[in-house]
Amino acid sequence: MFATFVNSLRESMSRRVALVLFGVAILVAVAFNSVVHVRALANGEMMIFVGTQTPMPPLTGVPSLLQSDLRATGSLWLLLALFAAAPLLTATLENGWLELVFSKGTARWRIFLGRFLGGLTLYSLTFVLATLPLALRLWWTTGVATWRVGVALLIQTFSFAALLAVTALVTLPQKGVALPLIASAAIWLLSPSLAMRQETFYRIFSSHIARGIIDWAYRILPKCSELEDLCMSFVERGVIVSSWPIWSTGLFTLAILGMTVWMLERKSF
Amino acid sequence: MGRARHDGAAARFAPVSSHWQFTEFERDVAALDETMTSQAVEVRDLTKTYRTFRGKTVSALNNVSLYVETGTIFGLIGQNGAGKTTLIKILLGLGTPTTGEAQLLGNSPRDAAARRRVGYLPEQMRLPDYFQAKNFLLYMGRLNRVDRDAMERRIPALLERVGLADARNPVKTFSKGMRQRLGLAQALVNNPEVLFLDEPTDGLDPLGRKDVRELLVQLRAEGRTIFLNSHLLSEVELVCDRIVILNKGKVAREATPDEFTRGTGEYLVRVAAVDDAVRAAAAVVVGDGSAEWTQNTLRFAPHDRAQLNCLVDRLRGVPVEIESIEPVRLSLEDFFLQVVGGEEP
Repeated sequence: MFATFVNSLRESMSRRVALVLFGVAILVAVAFNSVVHVRALANGEMMIFVGTQTPMPPLTGVPSLLQSDLRATGSLWLLLALFAAAPLLTATLENGWLELVFSKGTARWRIFLGRFLGGLTLYSLTFVLATLPLALRLWWTTGVATWRVGVALLIQTFSFAALLAVTALVTLPQKGVALPLIASAAIWLLSPSLAMRQETFYRIFSSHIARGIIDWAYRILPKCSELEDLCMSFVERGVIVSSWPIWSTGLFTLAILGMTVWMLERKSF
Repeated sequence: MGRARHDGAAARFAPVSSHWQFTEFERDVAALDETMTSQAVEVRDLTKTYRTFRGKTVSALNNVSLYVETGTIFGLIGQNGAGKTTLIKILLGLGTPTTGEAQLLGNSPRDAAARRRVGYLPEQMRLPDYFQAKNFLLYMGRLNRVDRDAMERRIPALLERVGLADARNPVKTFSKGMRQRLGLAQALVNNPEVLFLDEPTDGLDPLGRKDVRELLVQLRAEGRTIFLNSHLLSEVELVCDRIVILNKGKVAREATPDEFTRGTGEYLVRVAAVDDAVRAAAAVVVGDGSAEWTQNTLRFAPHDRAQLNCLVDRLRGVPVEIESIEPVRLSLEDFFLQVVGGEEP
């Protein structure tokens, strides 16, 4: 599995979309760092300056800036990374390559899971590249702890893992990257509406059965938007408000991955 | 000495007498499990059916039974769609049979440990562009759990063997022939006991094909088993110990190349010149109806050797110089065409 994992990272670096992801990550890091300045006032008080905005004291300014950073990268990153990571999974099942690797003495699920982890790592690495420089700089210059960004990164990676698991599952019964991407992007787009279904879907569907289906869809599908909100609140207050989005998304990911592995092992090529 | 060049057509496999002669492989082969089964591959009553979207059942393999003895070269031939690739995929654990059983080195092909002892060159191999030859072989070796130290020793020798020692460019710059050579090298990277080769000479020039044939013979001499699937029947005829013709998912014929290419009972008698006297002399022995002249060559089927000798005497009595007498043998291609064409050879 490790060999496949390493190879998937190498492969992703050969793809233009992954290079774009790294490029954008560097741009985001540079942009945020260039507009944020930490200076001491005449009275010796340390303040954070962001462009022409009113200076902020570090205790409130640091979480607020990190939230902005996460908001800028969070959702966008999820989608960009999906475009970079999905081909890693679909390429495994391309004719001429699958015969070569699945005939070797490594179980199929290990190969597939290695590539899944490669995709996850690609996301995490670029996310770290985009957010960590600002977090480190703020911690270094203000002394305010910024480790919460690390936890936020883990929560976001959790969200990405769920979408990538959907990509993996949809990859199996067909060829090509389009349908897996559409499926995971649709789930991602649907998640805020499902989270606020009383204000969205309930207004359209009055039927008891339809609302029941919508409720179940919400319970089952990954809660990407709620996980993102969780990141923000954790960075601000250091508290996980509700663990429900975390464990339900985790369960979904495990179930989908389990189903993928089961189907892959049974599949006749 | 077969130095590799970045030219698929010009690159040559290192000759058998090169400084590296699979010495490491020989050592490994000697260490092979002595209890190894005498049949490397065994297939019993294998059937594979597919169901189309419209619910129609299509049979790709129909009660196929065959075996491949250890240390032999086995040839599988058949038309497109005969079920050859389906059979190979089942034997490599890529496909599952509908009914029947397949065994690879005494184990199920789905057993990853059994597949570690097998090398495979697919017909249509896709090589990711970002690899270099060495990295690609390293990755293929790692998938077969080959020890890194062993690979560090083995890979340069393998690249030398297939004529790619100097190929340091990414695979995307490789010609078709070079890719095929690299494919052969990856099939050998785990020092396999059984080698499945699907059209191994595809994309190679005549010299490259000859090199592959020599390599196959050498591998057999080391005790390896080779399962060869090729459309080049002349190639199969030259190297295989046993051949199976698969036709419409069934084993149509199974024999040695000698049995396939047996004599037809006819002879070709070539003379220096043909005139009416020569034709008349031949007709006396052969009869007018059964003699078939093509320029200076008479083709006929004698009842016995005495009739053939009688013809020779008659012709020499004309007199005419006899240039050659040779029995007509069926080529594997002739035999194959008769089998798949429905004629009984």
